[in-house]
Amino acid sequence: MDPLIATALDTARKRGAQYADIRLVSNREQRIVVRNGVVETMTADESVGLGIRALYDGAWGFASSRELTNAAADAAAGQAVQIARASARVNGAGLTVSDLLGAPVVSKGNYATPIDIDPFNVPIEDKLSLLFAADEEMGKVPQVSARMGNVVFIREERTFANTEGALVTQTIHEAGGGIQATAVGNGETQRRSYPQSHGRQQGCAGWEYVVAMDLPGHARRIAGEAAELLTADPCPVGIDTDLIIDSSQLALQIHESCGHAVELDRALGDEAAFAGTSFLTPDLLDSFEYGSDQVNITADSTSATGLGTFGWDDEGLPAQASDIIRRGRFVGYLMSRESASRLDQVSNGCMRASSWNRIPLIRMTNVSLESGGWTLDDLIADTDDGIFLETNRSWSIDDRRYNFQFGTEVGREIKNGKLGRLLRNCTYTGITPDFWRSCDAVCGPQHWQLWGTPRCGKGQPGQIAHTSHGASPSRFRKVRVGVLR
Amino acid sequence: MLGPDHIRSRLKEALRHCPAGSDADIYLTASVQALTRFANNRIHQNVAHQDAVAHVRVATGFRQGRSATNNLSAEGLASAVRQAAEYARLMPEDPDFPGLPEPSGVQSVSAYDEATAVCAADRRADVVGTVCRRAADLALEAAGFCRTGLTEFAVASTRGADAYHVGTFAGLLITARGDDSAGWSKGGGWRLDNIDSEALTDEAISKAVKGRNPRDLEPGEYPVVLEHYAVDDMLEALSFYGMGAHMVQDGRSWMNGVLGEHVMSPLVHISDNGLDAAGWPMPFDAEGVAKQRVDIVSDGVASGPVHNTYTGAKEGKASTGHQRGATGGPTATNLFMRPGDQTTEELIASVDRGLYITRFYYTRLAHNRGCVMTGMTRDGTFLIEGGELTVPVKNLRFTQSYVDALTGCRALSSAAHLNLNEAGVAMHVPAALLDSWRFTGQTV
Repeated sequence: MDPLIATALDTARKRGAQYADIRLVSNREQRIVVRNGVVETMTADESVGLGIRALYDGAWGFASSRELTNAAADAAAGQAVQIARASARVNGAGLTVSDLLGAPVVSKGNYATPIDIDPFNVPIEDKLSLLFAADEEMGKVPQVSARMGNVVFIREERTFANTEGALVTQTIHEAGGGIQATAVGNGETQRRSYPQSHGRQQGCAGWEYVVAMDLPGHARRIAGEAAELLTADPCPVGIDTDLIIDSSQLALQIHESCGHAVELDRALGDEAAFAGTSFLTPDLLDSFEYGSDQVNITADSTSATGLGTFGWDDEGLPAQASDIIRRGRFVGYLMSRESASRLDQVSNGCMRASSWNRIPLIRMTNVSLESGGWTLDDLIADTDDGIFLETNRSWSIDDRRYNFQFGTEVGREIKNGKLGRLLRNCTYTGITPDFWRSCDAVCGPQHWQLWGTPRCGKGQPGQIAHTSHGASPSRFRKVRVGVLR
Repeated sequence: MLGPDHIRSRLKEALRHCPAGSDADIYLTASVQALTRFANNRIHQNVAHQDAVAHVRVATGFRQGRSATNNLSAEGLASAVRQAAEYARLMPEDPDFPGLPEPSGVQSVSAYDEATAVCAADRRADVVGTVCRRAADLALEAAGFCRTGLTEFAVASTRGADAYHVGTFAGLLITARGDDSAGWSKGGGWRLDNIDSEALTDEAISKAVKGRNPRDLEPGEYPVVLEHYAVDDMLEALSFYGMGAHMVQDGRSWMNGVLGEHVMSPLVHISDNGLDAAGWPMPFDAEGVAKQRVDIVSDGVASGPVHNTYTGAKEGKASTGHQRGATGGPTATNLFMRPGDQTTEELIASVDRGLYITRFYYTRLAHNRGCVMTGMTRDGTFLIEGGELTVPVKNLRFTQSYVDALTGCRALSSAAHLNLNEAGVAMHVPAALLDSWRFTGQTV
C-alpha cells in the first residue's frame, strides 16, 4: 500500500474515525476548440490531489489536499475527523458502521478503460486537421454566422482505499467531439449540432471514438439544416400530437425524468435545498407504474464506451447492472452504501465524485432505455399524424421531476406515415409518469445508441458528473407541443 | 491562503521560462472553502476543500497556447509554461489576436474579512444547529448550507501585469419543507457577520408555514411581484445569454438587433461594477485588465456588452476587464440593478390579481431572441388578490422572454439585496413588479 494512503487511514483511525476512505486522483485533460476558423482554445490541464472522508459518531467529515505528501495526507485526515465531530453535534446519527453502511467493502484490483488509440499519443496536428476540415465545410453555408468544433480527451488515474481493507486502482479514458453551426437571418437564430447538442458526444474510449464520428462528413449537412430552419414553419402551438423522439433527445429525457428521479439521496431529502427531491418515494418501490410495459430502464456501469463505466465506484463497489424500471414498473434506485442501508438494501455502486476535492455523491452511471422491436421506418410509417423530434435545444424539469419541458433543434412533420416539412422552435411538455405511460413503441437494437452527458450538475459545492444514456427512437402518444412563441 | 508575496514570486519565476520572442501571462486562482450542508434537520455532508490552479498562456505572434496545473512547485509551473509554449508553436495563426494586454491601473478594493476566512466547523455547526432546531419545532425539515472561505486571484505577465486580490465569502441557504410546502431564503457576501441567520430562518420557515395546502391555478398571463431571488435569476440569464461581446459578435445575444434601442422599461438600469463593495468585488479580470464600470442597460436602452481584449480589438475598443476565466468569452458577473422607490409591500398592494414569486428553478434558454426562458417557480408561490397575499399555489412552469418581461417593469423596490452564488457571480438586485408573466403549465 502507498505509504501516503496508510498514513491517512491510520491518522483517521487514531483520531477516532469509525470509518475512513481516501481517494488519490490524477487528472489530465486536453481540449481544443475551433471557432469561426480559428483555434479559440488549445489547452492541456492537469490536476492532482487527495480527498479523505471520515465517519465519527455516525456523522461525516471530508477534507482534501492538492499536495500528495505524507504530511498533507496526515493533516487532511485529521481535519476530516475534526469536521465529522462538528457534524455530529447537530443530530448525529450515533450509529455503528454496519448500521450505517452495511457490509464491509473489501474490493481489490485494477481496471482500465479499453481503448485502441491513446488520444494523448495522437499528434495535435491530426486533431486540428479534423476540426478545421469540419469548420471549412460549415463555412460553405452563407447564412451560418457562428461555427464551433471541439475535441476533449481525459485520462484519470484513481486509487481508492478504505479502513475496511479495500484497495482499487483505475485508469479511465474519455474522448469526445462535436460540431455546431448557428445561422442567422429572417429575424431568426437557429442552431444545429452533431452528433448531439451540449457541445459534443463523449464516451469512455480512445481517439478511435472521435474519428468514427466523421465530424467533417456531417458538417455541411448540419450547417445547411441550420440555414434551412431560418425559414421553416414554426412548431404547431398548443396541440396534443404523437411524437417520435430520436435517440439523443430521448437520452436527455431519460437523464432528467428518470435518472435523477431514481437517485435515492434525492428521494430521501438529502438534496432538497438544491437539486430537489423526487416523486419516486420509497413507498412506491416495486408498485408504481412509472411507464407503459414498453419501458425497461437499467443502470449499467459496465456498458462499453459509457461515461458511467468504471471498475468500482468511489465507495469501492464493483461495476454492475441493475433494473430501474421493468415493464413500466419502478423497481430500483441508484444508491450509496448509506442510503441503501436505510432501505435494507445493498448499494448498486453509484457513488461518484467529480474530483479529488469533492465527496462522492449518488450519481447516474449509464441509465438506459432497453431497445424494443421496431424499425424506425416502420414506426414512422405506422404514425398517421405527428412530429419527429431530433437533438436537444433546451431542457427544464421541476424539483420533484414531474413537470418537464424540452425543446429540440429540429422537428419534422409526420403525415400519413411519411416525414414531411421541417419545423423550427419545437417544444414539448408533460408530466413524467403520464409521458412514459404514453410510450407505445421503442425501436430495435440497430437504432440504439449510448449518448454521453458530460455536464450533469449536482451537489454543494457543485460537482459536474459524466454520465451516459442509451436509447432507440421511441413513440409517445398525444403529447403537448408548441409552448414557445 | 498562499498570500500575495508567495504567489508573486512563484509567478515571476515561472514567467522566466517563457521562450524568447514570446509573451506569457499566468492567471492564478487559489481557494479555500468549507461548506456545512444539512438536510432532514441534520448535517449530512461537511467538507473542506482547497485548490490552486495556474492558467498559463503563451503568445507567439498571432498564436497562443494554454495550459493549466495545480502543481505550483517551480518545476510544475515551469512545465506548464513549456507546455503552453509548445501549443502556441503548433497553433495556426489567428489574425484577430491582438496579443497580451498592457498593464492597466488596477485599483485595490477591500473584500477580505479575517473572521470569515478562518471560520471553524464548529461555528458553522452552531448556525446550522439553530436553523434545524427551529424548523423541527414547527414540524418542518430544514435543508441547505452554511459556507465560508476565501479566493485569491493573481495575474502576472511578461508585459508587466502584476495584480493580486483576495476576497472572502460566506453564505447561508435555507429551505424549510413541510408535507406540501416549502420556503426559501439565502444570504451571502464577503463577511459572515453580515448574514442575519435569524432573519433568514424566519423568512424560510414563514413561507413554508404559509404555503401549506397550495391550490391549483390555471396557467396564463398574470402580473407578478418577483422577490430579489427571482430577479437575480433574470439578470444571470441576461448576462450569460447576451451581455458578453462574443455573443453579440456571433449573433447569439438577446442584444442583437436592439443595441441602442429602448428594449426595457425606463426604470430598468443594469450596470456591471467590480469595484463596488456592496457586491462581491473583483478589481481585475483573468487577463489582469482593470475592471471598468459598464452600463449595459441604461434607463431601458440596450447600451452594449462587456469586452475582453480579443472582442474589444475586433471592434477597435479597449477591454472593459471582463474576461471571467482563462477561456471562454467576456462575462458580466458583478451586476447591479438600480433600485426603485417602493417597499415590497407597496408592490404587492398595487396588484389586483397576480402572483408573488419567491424564486425560479431550473431555468433554461428556450430561444435566444429576446432571451426566452423556461423554468419553474419554487419554494414560495402565492396568489395576490386585492393587493394582498391570499393563498399559496402549486408551482408553475413559465415560458417567458426576460427582455419582454422587463419592458413591463412597473416598479422596483427601494431595498436591493446581494445574491452571491457559489461560482462567484454577484447580482445586487431589488424586487420587481412586472405587468405580465406567461405561465405555461403547472406541476402535480
